[in-house]
Amino acid sequence: MPRYLIERSFPDGLALEPNKQGCAAANSVIGTNAEQGVTWIHSYVTPNKKTTYCIYDGPSPEAIRKVATKNGLPVDKITEVRVLDPYFHM
Amino acid sequence: MQLLERGAELTALQVLFESAKSGAGRLALISGEAGIGKTSFVEHFAASAKNAQVLRGYCDPLLTPTPLGPLFDIAQQLGGKLSSVLDAETQRSLLFPTLLYQLQSIAPVVVLIFEDIHWADDATLDLIRYLARRLEALRVLFIVTCRDDEIPRLGAVRSLLGGFAGSSVFKRIQLSQLSLEAVQTLSSGIFDDAATLHARTAGNPLFVSEILQNIQVQIPESVRDIVLSRLTKLSPSARELVEVAAVIGSRIEPQILQGTLEVSANDVSESIDSGLLIVKDSVIAFRHELLREAILYSFDPWVRQNLYRRVLKVASLLLRDNRNDYAQIAHYAEGASDAEAVVRYGMAAANAAQKYGAHREAASHFKRVLKFSVNKTPETRGSLLMKYADECALVDDLNESCSAFQEAAEIWNSSGNPLKYGEAMTQLAWPMVRSGRDAEAQGACTLAIEILEPLGETQQLASAYRMAAHLKMLDRDRLAATHLGNKAIDLAERLGDNQTVAGGELAVGTAILVSGDLEGRKRLNRCIALAEQHHLESLKALAMLNIGTSYGELYMFADAERELAAGIAFARDSNLEHSEHYMTAWLALVRMYQGRWQEATDLALMTLAQTNLAIVSRIMALIALGRVRVRRGDPAALTALDEAYELAVQSGTLQRVAPVLAARAEFAWLEGEAATSAEEAHKAFKLAQSKRHSWHTGEFCYWLMCCEEMVVVPDWVAQPFALQIAGSWREAADSWSHLGCPYEQARALAEGDVGAQFEALKIFDALGAKPAAAMLRQTIRLSGTSHVPRGIRSTTRGNPFGLTKRELEILPLLTQGLTNGEIALKLRLSVKTVGHHVSSVLSKLAVTNRKAAGRIALQRGII
Repeated sequence: MPRYLIERSFPDGLALEPNKQGCAAANSVIGTNAEQGVTWIHSYVTPNKKTTYCIYDGPSPEAIRKVATKNGLPVDKITEVRVLDPYFHM
Repeated sequence: MQLLERGAELTALQVLFESAKSGAGRLALISGEAGIGKTSFVEHFAASAKNAQVLRGYCDPLLTPTPLGPLFDIAQQLGGKLSSVLDAETQRSLLFPTLLYQLQSIAPVVVLIFEDIHWADDATLDLIRYLARRLEALRVLFIVTCRDDEIPRLGAVRSLLGGFAGSSVFKRIQLSQLSLEAVQTLSSGIFDDAATLHARTAGNPLFVSEILQNIQVQIPESVRDIVLSRLTKLSPSARELVEVAAVIGSRIEPQILQGTLEVSANDVSESIDSGLLIVKDSVIAFRHELLREAILYSFDPWVRQNLYRRVLKVASLLLRDNRNDYAQIAHYAEGASDAEAVVRYGMAAANAAQKYGAHREAASHFKRVLKFSVNKTPETRGSLLMKYADECALVDDLNESCSAFQEAAEIWNSSGNPLKYGEAMTQLAWPMVRSGRDAEAQGACTLAIEILEPLGETQQLASAYRMAAHLKMLDRDRLAATHLGNKAIDLAERLGDNQTVAGGELAVGTAILVSGDLEGRKRLNRCIALAEQHHLESLKALAMLNIGTSYGELYMFADAERELAAGIAFARDSNLEHSEHYMTAWLALVRMYQGRWQEATDLALMTLAQTNLAIVSRIMALIALGRVRVRRGDPAALTALDEAYELAVQSGTLQRVAPVLAARAEFAWLEGEAATSAEEAHKAFKLAQSKRHSWHTGEFCYWLMCCEEMVVVPDWVAQPFALQIAGSWREAADSWSHLGCPYEQARALAEGDVGAQFEALKIFDALGAKPAAAMLRQTIRLSGTSHVPRGIRSTTRGNPFGLTKRELEILPLLTQGLTNGEIALKLRLSVKTVGHHVSSVLSKLAVTNRKAAGRIALQRGII
């Protein structure tokens, strides 16, 4: 399954706190993703919380967009990526 | 045996049953390996389904299954109209609605069970699809069981059920192997070593129960070993009974059994005691199909053939005309290697399969008959091959169809029958063109006409003209298609051949309509009227398909949308899958142009998920998907367009190649690869011009202009493209907006003044057209106008970029599209000097191409 890097903008900053509500929100995203065979691997967030870079596995870019809409998450750009491990060749 | 570890599965089925009771029917697929207990599970549920009328249909493990076997079973249980419709030689189109009508009238709820659909024939799969699509409004729980380790027919079943994946009507219930605990429960008090028993049987309930029935010191390797050891323990007469029963089949027709051998009560009770047979609904049956298979394949081949001979003799004597059991008897005949019987019953079986629309089965019967008619006359073999080839084409086995038609043609040619020879060559053209071998198809058709014309006015000649017209229509050659089509219609009308008249109208009407002349619609309407009058459903669907897609090719998307929706509904109702898929793929394209991208990709992906998709449908769906990805800037755009291109090139026809190349040109342009973009556009530009296709030609001219290529724009290109190329961006944008194409509208506005550019940005952003929006933002930034209020053109005359006098002289010329050579000639300079000036102008204006330079020059009032 292809892996994607998804760039998202949150002009008001991303509100995902490490508490019960945050956990519930993340779980609901994971549940919606599963309906389309999409898996959220992990994300990177800028210090101002206005941009996130998310690593996802999914069957197609369309599946990524579909769950984003359902989850109410913005999509700026989807890029297909592969893992490059700097220590692999040592 | 008790039903263990099926609690969750039963609850799931119960939920579906409740929904069915409340009027929202459901389809449940019970799947699992052979012996997992699908039948026991379903029967357990059926026994508990209160107040439900339970109807059961069975699919049999014949080499070539009986068409609509389960429907015949159900008709017997239901009685009433359905069984009389089945008995009478009625059209198949009446059967399914009759069943539906009868199901609707049963209160309060029906549990409809189709067992073993991995052995189902094509017509039964059609029936399942037909019912499933209407379940939402029925008080019916439709349960189908299917082995998931039975390979041969799994593809067809999978593609059928794949169509329902994700729909709320459908649920798959997978039965899994028993756990060690369950095996312990079952074996407690009978056998101590439950762990070994579990490991050896892999938790297969049938295997476990077979072993526990008659436990020995050593656990046998397989169910087969158990069965065979039981068989050897039977008395000779009981053993013969079991063996004959195995040959008769999974359903043991009592009359055939009694006719084949003396059935004594002792033998029956002995074989029931052995655990091989059971009594079900007061008829003897095998306890499980696996037991029967084990016995059948244990015979010496000669013994088996002998048994088949005995059964065949009895069965053929019992045969009554209006019964649907030719397939069964043909199966016995093949087992008996009785060539005469295979031919006789195989032909009858093939005709029955054809009648019920089980085309895969019909093809398979014809193939079997062919195998057994090596010594028949050329006429017989020729006709057989033609029928076989016909059925192969219907189930998309196109290579097989082509070679069978070719073989038939050779036979007719060498046996001196030019009429049949010409007919075979005409028919050969169709599977050829459908597999993308257009040039060969043209050749076959031309040859057919050459052969047939000297023979005078024949139906075959009319057909050949019609086929030739159709091929020319596909090739978008209006003149030739109209000429040949009218010849076909004239001749067929004189001969009273309505099908060919309707087919001719289809070819002519489409050729006219797709060329942009709406008069073509009248001819297509005549085709539809004739098709309705003579029950030619597939021709009607094809006419609707051509109307919808022609409007699509003409950018009349509102009309295309309406016609395609009607066509899809009709094809769906008539079980014409290929037409449905192709129209769905085209609707995806329409949605793409309409800016309804989510719907476009949903439709395209749904089409691409079909396993038996025709190449032409695949190409169109890939283009829709690829082009939305291009416009969104999503990954995998090129993956889709590469595959589409590869497939389209094989066909070589404009209607496939042009839209792929246009999408590829757009992709390259948005990637900033002007040279590649021009290259893609050039690949089909000449072809589009030679067919005078105003839209494809218009689009290619547009891309070539974008890439600063010199092109002579024909005066007949489609209006919005012509306007845009001429620089009339406002009129072009209005024209696109009128056609309902927001992206194209924005693209035209982007070439306008700053106000228009901001308008364009709004549209691009709303669509999610990232690359086009980014490009436009860059243009606005570079032109320095982003912070300046509107109305800039009238106020800022002058030379803000510091261009030299010579550069100011060259700028208007290069924005008119003149080449360096032409400018050099005009200004009496060397080409090299002009080259320097041009690059200096471009760099001062901070643009990369002449078109953008022209745009900025206009905006800033330099020219």
